Amino acid sequence: MKSESRLGWALVAPAVGVIALIALFPLGWTVWESLHQHDLRMPWLGQSFIGLENFAEIMRDPRFWGSLGHTGFFTVLSISLELVLGLFLALAMNRAFRGRGAVRAAVLVPWAIPTVVAALLWRFMFESEAGIVNAVLLDLGIIERAIVWFIHTTTSWVPVILADVWKTTPFVALLLLAGLQNIDKSLYEAASMDGAGAWWQLTHITIPLLKHAILVTLIFRTLDAFRVFDLIYVLTGGGPGTSTEPVALYAFNALLQNLRFGYGSAVSVVIFAITFGLAILYIKGLGVSLQGDER
Amino acid sequence: MRENPDLRVRVLRTPEGATQRHQLYVQWLNARVGDPDVLQLDVVWTPEFAAAGWILPLDRFKPAVGDFFPATIEANTWANELYGLPWFVDVGLLYRRTDLVPREPSSLDDMVALARAAQSRPGGPRYGIVWQGARYEGLVTTFIEYLGAFGGRILDEQGRVVVDSPEAVRALTFMRKTLYDDGIAPLDVLTWHEEEGRFAFQNGNAAFMRNWPYPYAAMNDTSQSRVAGKFTVGPMPAAPGGRSTAALGGNQLAINAYTKSPEAAYRLIAYLTAPEQMLERAAKVGQYPSRRALFDDGRLSTALATPVEQARRAIESATPRPVTPIYTELSEILQIELHRALVRQAEPEAALRSAALRINTLVDRTGMRKLMSKTAP
Repeated sequence: MKSESRLGWALVAPAVGVIALIALFPLGWTVWESLHQHDLRMPWLGQSFIGLENFAEIMRDPRFWGSLGHTGFFTVLSISLELVLGLFLALAMNRAFRGRGAVRAAVLVPWAIPTVVAALLWRFMFESEAGIVNAVLLDLGIIERAIVWFIHTTTSWVPVILADVWKTTPFVALLLLAGLQNIDKSLYEAASMDGAGAWWQLTHITIPLLKHAILVTLIFRTLDAFRVFDLIYVLTGGGPGTSTEPVALYAFNALLQNLRFGYGSAVSVVIFAITFGLAILYIKGLGVSLQGDER
Repeated sequence: MRENPDLRVRVLRTPEGATQRHQLYVQWLNARVGDPDVLQLDVVWTPEFAAAGWILPLDRFKPAVGDFFPATIEANTWANELYGLPWFVDVGLLYRRTDLVPREPSSLDDMVALARAAQSRPGGPRYGIVWQGARYEGLVTTFIEYLGAFGGRILDEQGRVVVDSPEAVRALTFMRKTLYDDGIAPLDVLTWHEEEGRFAFQNGNAAFMRNWPYPYAAMNDTSQSRVAGKFTVGPMPAAPGGRSTAALGGNQLAINAYTKSPEAAYRLIAYLTAPEQMLERAAKVGQYPSRRALFDDGRLSTALATPVEQARRAIESATPRPVTPIYTELSEILQIELHRALVRQAEPEAALRSAALRINTLVDRTGMRKLMSKTAP
């Protein structure tokens, strides 16, 4: 037994070593940096150990709390919309109809476009009075004067959320579609036989049986949305003011614009801790539901 | 080089964007790379690089600083020592449509009146004035000009933060008024950089424009501009109690502190900043010389697209942005707070108070207070 476990450890050692090298080592280094004052641009300050002072500064910075709020808002709103729309898409794609393969491929197009390109497209549509969005809204008589979208907080969020929903709904739909295809068709037949309507079938068969797929989607999407960066960087740059700035942009700014390695590392550690916490929360949730099914 | 046959110069390409170039320099200098020996610096970087010990003081080479515009020397001086020589000058200009606005504005209020009059003419332009109002460095340069026009400053002589002074509040309130009350500046400028403003002006949509000298020549080209021959430039007007102010830009040449051959590096700088070279730059790329005497030289008026007298007046009203090693972060704070006030997320007074508070925190954190008091005369 003992030698067997030793063999086991020997066999996983290379894998553990690789993980340690590419994941744990940089993580450890970042944590170490976060405990130091290290401003690349201000060598006269030296590079001293300052304990948790960087973290204290983060806690004192209203801009950080603002960015955390924006990230939460973006995550909740965009994922909610994506789940609802994604479910509709998945249900539609799950039906047998002519050209289904082509539709499934076509739906994926927005997801295949690089985020920066997609963000630029959306920016052009909303930018300036001559942008297509203003032109259409003016033509339809919905607005009387062209809106300058990127100078108000509320209107700045519109292209951000729309672009993310447009781009990511297909991905959500595909994950849900995979879940849908695992549901036994006979359940629906039996329900129909008993006179259950479409809505009852959706809420009592489809959604409960789709729980795993939904949870997996939520994990992927939450962790992604929480680290949103390029979309907002291109669309609003975090503005007006800093009212659409997400935490990733805040960290980028500290680390790569201001070259404050210590402080920026501390921000990264905070973001890591939050996403890690979220992941654990979800995995626990998923684990519990798995056990529930086995019983 | 013909004049220095023993010197061979290798040109290293760096990124065009100022932010990217700055980042690259900081990485090089942190790694103590001695190559390139001569660095081309943006006007606001010199104090930062000097305080970090990344560039060498030039005083031992005894450059004749009296030949340059004083503001350009001030911007290159840190702790009473000169660290860079101005290579060319960039300066904020007020462009004016001569066919719509018959005379130069005598004050900021006069500028508003002239802009409105131009807008209300039949077939007049949609906008009275366009400027750089997006949340980036350009917004700070625009603000500096209004701030000086009202007699305000960001840091005073002792390095104290005075950006929340009544003068500054008046300046920012004035800028906001041109957007929301006077209707001369479109709200779009709050997302605009230099180029968007240029397009508007060049297509005949604005009576005034705040911009740098660079678009002057292209806008006089009838094949791409609708305003060719119909505009001129001048300095920004002042308000009562202030003075006409132009933001100072431009590039400097400084010696990398890790170079192996400082003497040769200085000879290259001396060559590149010589009058002949500056005349050539003016003719080839339209950049303004930083030597005052050249503006009396007849050769400059043939070399330069901009009228020389106007250019000289603007440069003489030029004010450096705060000469401090923490400028980049100071500017970031200002960009955010100014933008917040202009998009009406905050009142001008509250925004400037918040800016002052955050700049003071920055000064404390970076030990600037001590550095500045040490260097105070």
